[in-house]
Amino acid sequence: MATAVELERAHGAGHGDDHGHADHPPTSTGLDHRKLLMWAFLASDCMFFGSLIATYMIYRGRAEDLGFAPFPSEILDIPYTSLSAFVLLMSSLTMVLALAAIQKGDHRGLRIWLAATALLGAIFLGGQYFEFTEFYHEGLSLQTNMFGASFFVLTGFHGAHVTIGVIWLLTLLFLSLRGGVKQEDSLDVELAGLYWHFVDIVWIVIFTLVYLIPYDEVTETQTGAFTYLAGILRGVASIF
Amino acid sequence: MASVAQPAGHAGPATQTVARPATKKNIGFWSWITTVDHKRIGLLYGITAFAYLLIGGIEALVIRSQLIAPNNDLVSLEKYNQFFTMHGTTMIFLAVMPLSSAFFNFIIPLQIGARDVAFPRLNAFSYWVFFFGGLILSLSWLANAAPNQGWYGYAPLTEKGFNIGRNVDFWALGLQVLGIASIAASLNFIITILNMRAPGMTLMRMPLFTWTTLITSILIVMAFPAITIALALLSFDRFAGTSFYIPYIYDEATRQVVARGGDPLLWQHLFWIFGHPEVYILILPAFGIVSEIIPVFSRKPLFGYAVMVYATATIAFLGFGVWVHHMFTTGLGPTPNAVFAASTMLIAVPTGVKILNWTSTMWGGQLNFTTPMLFSTALVSQFVIGGISGVMHGSPPIDSQHNDSYFVVAHFHYVLFGGSIFALLAGTYYWFPKFSGRMLDERLGKWHFWVTFAAFNITFFPMHFLGLEGMPRRYGTYGEGSGLQLWHVVSSVGSYLLGFSFLIFMYNVAVSLQRGKKAGNDPWDGATLEWTIPSPPPVYNFATVPVVRHRDPLWEEKYAKYEGEGHAEEETLETTIAGIKIGEGQVPDEDALEQAERRAAADDEHNIHLPNPSYWPLVTALGVFLAAFGLIFSYPRIPIGALDLPLYTAAGLLVLVAGVYGWSLEPAS
Repeated sequence: MATAVELERAHGAGHGDDHGHADHPPTSTGLDHRKLLMWAFLASDCMFFGSLIATYMIYRGRAEDLGFAPFPSEILDIPYTSLSAFVLLMSSLTMVLALAAIQKGDHRGLRIWLAATALLGAIFLGGQYFEFTEFYHEGLSLQTNMFGASFFVLTGFHGAHVTIGVIWLLTLLFLSLRGGVKQEDSLDVELAGLYWHFVDIVWIVIFTLVYLIPYDEVTETQTGAFTYLAGILRGVASIF
Repeated sequence: MASVAQPAGHAGPATQTVARPATKKNIGFWSWITTVDHKRIGLLYGITAFAYLLIGGIEALVIRSQLIAPNNDLVSLEKYNQFFTMHGTTMIFLAVMPLSSAFFNFIIPLQIGARDVAFPRLNAFSYWVFFFGGLILSLSWLANAAPNQGWYGYAPLTEKGFNIGRNVDFWALGLQVLGIASIAASLNFIITILNMRAPGMTLMRMPLFTWTTLITSILIVMAFPAITIALALLSFDRFAGTSFYIPYIYDEATRQVVARGGDPLLWQHLFWIFGHPEVYILILPAFGIVSEIIPVFSRKPLFGYAVMVYATATIAFLGFGVWVHHMFTTGLGPTPNAVFAASTMLIAVPTGVKILNWTSTMWGGQLNFTTPMLFSTALVSQFVIGGISGVMHGSPPIDSQHNDSYFVVAHFHYVLFGGSIFALLAGTYYWFPKFSGRMLDERLGKWHFWVTFAAFNITFFPMHFLGLEGMPRRYGTYGEGSGLQLWHVVSSVGSYLLGFSFLIFMYNVAVSLQRGKKAGNDPWDGATLEWTIPSPPPVYNFATVPVVRHRDPLWEEKYAKYEGEGHAEEETLETTIAGIKIGEGQVPDEDALEQAERRAAADDEHNIHLPNPSYWPLVTALGVFLAAFGLIFSYPRIPIGALDLPLYTAAGLLVLVAGVYGWSLEPAS
């Protein structure tokens, strides 16, 4: 724990409360409070998504079982969503570039890459809006069947995360334009980045479970006692 | 300088070498509204939660008065449903959890040698969100629509088809708001404990209460998301017409039952994945409090400290793998029942280890039965009774006999009252001098203890008999000649006595605040850092950041010179079980600690940096409240584009956004 090296490092990394001040006491782990907070929050957020994904997995295939159209297999457009997934994943790259820029003190680079990340996020959201509208016109709503309910709630919850992320990025961009994001404040950008990458990673899981795994394999009615447990375990395991 | 900054015995601020930081107005109404001081927030939590404890107690007295006679009609059965639902919900979410939070807030920074928590404004936000969450639940009484479906809200009883009023909405939204408060507070405490320990306080030198707070906080952060999602899905069912928990509906038009595909068991799974860890969220802080008190009044270091830490962590970990034991009678089949029966019984092992360690701490000690010690030893004995009936429920065949009977009611009151409440009372007597500067009266305290102890057993022990004789849980009545009345009468009389015991307690607090003995820094000859500073502590807690060289730093400070006389035993960082070494702590580098000490001394040259008071946590919390309120009272509505939002929700979201921006753009200190 408190070896000489660590105590020294802790003293060096003395960033404290919500905004770093040089005279804050050192932290015991050497990590900034806010960074640790973000990691702990993301752990909690894993459980949020875990519960939602488990719910989706439990009800996966139930629309077919009961014969309530539209079925996921006929309505999901994999090529279209692959494209918007690609856009979202690329935004992680631009996010990394934004952080790298501010760490080097490159304010112009920070603004360009922040704007690019927010734009890619906004394109993803636009794609989701279009997809939801399209599904609605094809007869799938929250109330139609279990697929509609669990699909819209899960992907909508993720979309809400992306929306908050885009607003956060735009706020950072606005602050940067007013000269409020200095090189030593790069942690502000890093925190937004941690959140953004997490939201991207969750989308990889959702995209795989909701879109990519074929639906015709789950035809038999799943009434076994362990269905719930298996669903939940699959959901949780998929996060890691 | 010795290992702790201020040697005990020195009175008050005279020993402080620093200029007292400029504190503007620090009394008055608005200073409490905008406070970010962990001690004040702790007191706010404590006072609010105690008020709810009294409300929950009155609800319990109504229940007991209804059941004192067969076919009683003191309250209607519909109202009775509301009373038992609100009793459970109030006691769990508005009394015991926030009372634990009060201790976390006040004590943890003092125990780890910190001047505040890691995020003071987030801490204020947690309190205000808790306050508003409690307000939502309480408003349900005024709207004549208190929740009526039982504290675990089983679907489909909670669905619109069975529960058309706003009762369930108050409950779902109230719990949702309380969940935000709990998660925010817990994130704060995880970071505070991991990151703000005084130099030299390694993880394995943290006081046990700090350990249980850390582990409880991790449990909250990992368990609450499950109920948040469960409640969100329920709200979708109620507000948006989905059917997550509805298997079938009756179609008026075609006069047919139509399959919807939802499953009420999903609610039970999600609820108990939260609900079982919640049990440990309620009891682990109690274990921590008792683990602080028993060593001090036995004049011995805690027996098996490291094993105690591991046992706490094991209980928390296993707590996520036992939820199906709440569902043995739902027909999941023999395999899951067997697996979860085994994991349930496994939890008895680390819990038994704790009981053993407390008794071993007392063994051969110089026992001093002050009021806190009396309550702590009562916890050890009463929790064993509740624990053993818990192991009985862990067996599916026995559980199917006990399920939904008063036997279960007896069981969880023995663990929650005989466990959590006894420990919270012990903690109140133990730390009251630190909160207020004055001691609680010992004579009244002993009266309080013995009346509580007797009344508790008179109230809850007969419930075992009632359960075995067939009294079902949650029934507001029973037949004449059913043979149940005797024990119901005994239990009700006990409950009145239990209510009376709280009057003694409140009288004691009122008298002692005025005329209690002055406490001084260290009235109990304590072992931990909170006893090195004045009572009540100055706003900055520690004038000089302490440096820790021992697991019981203050005992080492006071008694190291008497080495060999049995007080501060040589600290060993090795952990052994039956002579076999299972772990080894890292000994901190002595040079580094000396550097830290020099740095702490140098820090004193400057004024101590304290966070400023802030309105933004309250504003943000108000936004959360309005948004939730709008979902319950969904009129008037305003259309925004394609959305048709309730007015209060729209306003709440605006206030929320304004609060978040005001908060993040305001300098923290």
